[in-house]
Amino acid sequence: MPLLKGEAYMSDIINKVADCLVRAGSTFREDQKAAYRKAIAEEANGSACWVMRQVLDNAIVAENNRSPLCDDTGIPHLFLEIGKNRTITGELLEEIKEGVRMGLRKLPGRPMAIKGDDYARIDQSGGLIEDSGALDASPILIKSVDEDVLRLTILMLGGGPAIRGITQRVFHKHSVDVVIDEIVNRAIPAVSQLGCSPCTLAIGIGRSQFEATSLMMEAMVKGDFGVQNDFEKRITDKVNEANIGPLGLGGKHSVLATFAKVGPQRASGVRIVALRPCCCFEPRRASVDI
Amino acid sequence: MQEIKELTTPFSEEAIAALKVGDVVSINGYIFCGRDAVLPRICKELKEGVWEKRGIDLRGGVIFHTAVSPAGVGPTSSNKLEIESSFETLSKSGGIKMHLGKGAIKPETVKMLAENNAAFAIIPPVTALLESQTLERECVAWPELGMEALYRIKVKNYQAIIAAAKGRSIYE
Repeated sequence: MPLLKGEAYMSDIINKVADCLVRAGSTFREDQKAAYRKAIAEEANGSACWVMRQVLDNAIVAENNRSPLCDDTGIPHLFLEIGKNRTITGELLEEIKEGVRMGLRKLPGRPMAIKGDDYARIDQSGGLIEDSGALDASPILIKSVDEDVLRLTILMLGGGPAIRGITQRVFHKHSVDVVIDEIVNRAIPAVSQLGCSPCTLAIGIGRSQFEATSLMMEAMVKGDFGVQNDFEKRITDKVNEANIGPLGLGGKHSVLATFAKVGPQRASGVRIVALRPCCCFEPRRASVDI
Repeated sequence: MQEIKELTTPFSEEAIAALKVGDVVSINGYIFCGRDAVLPRICKELKEGVWEKRGIDLRGGVIFHTAVSPAGVGPTSSNKLEIESSFETLSKSGGIKMHLGKGAIKPETVKMLAENNAAFAIIPPVTALLESQTLERECVAWPELGMEALYRIKVKNYQAIIAAAKGRSIYE
């Protein structure tokens, strides 16, 4: 990384971030495509197969055209990993913000920024800003890693899963089974009400609402459809027993995978669980080294 | 592979009467797009008997529950209060034959659709695919609502699955 940041270097970061955002909003990763192909091959319900083929065909068109996977293009959520020899400056954060703005205009993102003061933003009485780039990203989550990298991951998080997401305590009774059962009990109605399934369940388990949600974010950043541990697989299998199916039309693929991250835990009888039923396109994510 | 029934707007009474739950249809021609903000306005004008002044013929038509933005189109949940409560007036007074969106609707809505020989179809939220199958788009009423205004778009091969017809629902 150069010590002096010239104009070309700065614009390079902005362009990389913009390109990363467009990829996040328009591209299925290979593990995601493979998960769909496997589900289609194994699904006996004709309606469920039709839905999943449509989703996969959509992904191919979106990737070829670099156009949005869904008209709810989502709110950009940023996850920055930093090695011990790298630095983050205020200038870099500004460049990332500018890259997000540029990416939203290129995608194009749905113009969803709300005008006005606190009250007007809550009741939406001031209308919308027409510029796709006016949409602010969420606060950046920063994590130190044991790699020589400065890696940005952009997640585009849609509204449907946000409506159905739940962050709440579980009294674990010193049993993992109790925690899994409670997660499944919360996930089944959430998946059913979401509509845009098959889902991927993102889960974070921590000591506070903030920590659990941060862990859930990390699970979405790192999750791989082809790599499922026992905890994740048990949750996926139990939710799929409900036979909700893609778009709620029935079938054994309500959930394609579970991405879970278990953090440090409190010495107490409570665990805080963040659960997001990610829609059929999520986690929409892409990463870039900057 | 499921058989796909070809439909072109405006739909005839016979074409709708032949549909059954679980059928996959390919929709072609001009359809309308509107959601929470605009559907109650259409219903109000239909009830007040002033809709005809707009010169927009809804008969035999499809209303797709979507915004129309630079990002494209995609279904919102049809069971939202303002949307599902529009079904009856749009079909009875406006002549809409197909409501197109996503999510389960109430049993009383399923019954009402049957009484008016209309159907509810579910379309996957496949924006990129739909964008490649959208040939024209035009804002036809309430442009001040922006992406939530009433749009008329011309489509080719929008695939959907019949979720309610003849008093039956795919969610039963």
